[in-house]
Amino acid sequence: MNERELREAVGRLPKSIEPPRDLWPDIAARLSTRRPRWYWLPLAAAAAVAAVVVTRNFSGAPSSGSWPVSVLAGRPLVGSARLAASGALRVGEWVETDDSSRALIAVGSIGRVEVKPGTRIRLLEARPDAHRLALARGAIDAKVDAPPRLFFVETPAGTAIDLGCAYTLETDSLGNGRLHVTAGYVEFTWRGRRSVVPLGAIADTRAGMGPGTPYVEDAPEPLRRALAKFDFESGGAGAAGAALASARAEDAVSLWHLLQRVDPSQRGAVYDRLAALVPPPPGVTRPGALALEPATLDAYWSSIRRILFRRVILRGVRDIDPRTGTTVK
Amino acid sequence: MTDDLVRRAQAGDQTAFRDLYHQLAGRVYALCLRLTGDAGAAEERTQDVFVRAWSKLRSFRGESAFSSWLHRLAVNVVMNERRTTFRREQRVAPVAAPETLERGRGEPAVGVSIDLERAIAALPEGAREVFVLYDIEGYSHAEIADLTGIAEGTSKAQLFRARRLLRENLDR
Repeated sequence: MNERELREAVGRLPKSIEPPRDLWPDIAARLSTRRPRWYWLPLAAAAAVAAVVVTRNFSGAPSSGSWPVSVLAGRPLVGSARLAASGALRVGEWVETDDSSRALIAVGSIGRVEVKPGTRIRLLEARPDAHRLALARGAIDAKVDAPPRLFFVETPAGTAIDLGCAYTLETDSLGNGRLHVTAGYVEFTWRGRRSVVPLGAIADTRAGMGPGTPYVEDAPEPLRRALAKFDFESGGAGAAGAALASARAEDAVSLWHLLQRVDPSQRGAVYDRLAALVPPPPGVTRPGALALEPATLDAYWSSIRRILFRRVILRGVRDIDPRTGTTVK
Repeated sequence: MTDDLVRRAQAGDQTAFRDLYHQLAGRVYALCLRLTGDAGAAEERTQDVFVRAWSKLRSFRGESAFSSWLHRLAVNVVMNERRTTFRREQRVAPVAAPETLERGRGEPAVGVSIDLERAIAALPEGAREVFVLYDIEGYSHAEIADLTGIAEGTSKAQLFRARRLLRENLDR
């Protein structure tokens, strides 16, 4: 190899190489104990106000630098010690369960997280205005009773943001996982890619790709396959078309997300299919939807979420029309 | 977009800083990986860079692009760590013989299939740093001298040596 060939080879080297794993959870843990110095004064004032507000809004005491953790089964590792009954999980510490152990973490005074077997999870922030965990692998059941956006779980595929809910979150050793919401709804974000997952819906997640398009628990298999292809295998228009063809009225949650993710040239087809399955509520227009106007999308979303809520809550009690949310006579 | 994130991060918004991390982690990690020649060390230095950036955000005044400021900070973090480690090793171990330095660290099984990244990682530390900073990152010899604490002439000699070793390794 001569000098020129070497220069050319160097010129072809990528300027950017993604780290093999998401380093943010470790960085965030270090930041939480190390704020910019100038930030302390306004922060102290803001924290004092926030503490008063949160204390008034919730009967329990505001969370401090640690959360209580207790054993549900086996001997989970908390920090560097095996837990026999109960203890404290401090910011920066990990909880690690093996195949036969489980633990219960109290999320300050706003909720709880059950740590399932085979899980590794870390406490990143324990402040009244920010309760944050990092799930490296495994599964958790989370239940939170608080205003939206107070509880966060970081995963290699993105962040689950509580909007008042209960959910199961799983992450495998490659950082891929699944979010299954069983009450309320959850936002899952990664680099601007956002899925809002309501009660009775699921979103698959992939490291380096973020959340997939949510789908309902009883979504047909062809729709799930088409969405997976669209979200994670660059399926493009073909996969989106397959999703439209297999979607039912019950799958409006998926189509509402798809509307915002497909190529603009395909939005019309998605909107028409969605409107045919679930009639748009008053105020929602085709041009507004194709322009992705926030007010239009919000109005349609409210309608879709209300219908899904009634379907799930009244399952086994009465039949609900998936097009309107009304009781089927 | 980045400017807005920087402003918010400077005001203490950790979510904005996380978004900056996601935007720039690849650039920082690539630099750390090439400067250290070791994936584990690169992860640690990348974390150090962002932790340091968070504590020094106030000193960023927008006179250059934020990515440039962060890049410079990353070089400083890696070089400081190297100096600290070097001093630590000096206290406990004798200096390696010159011929071992010339062979390079790690001595991977070089062959026709060796790629440039691996060849760079296998360079002796000083030569690798100068090569990465000069040929890949575009720093001048004067800047490298300032960053690494070596003389400009040494920087030029290390670059010459790095290129020679790379050509030899890639020819095998």
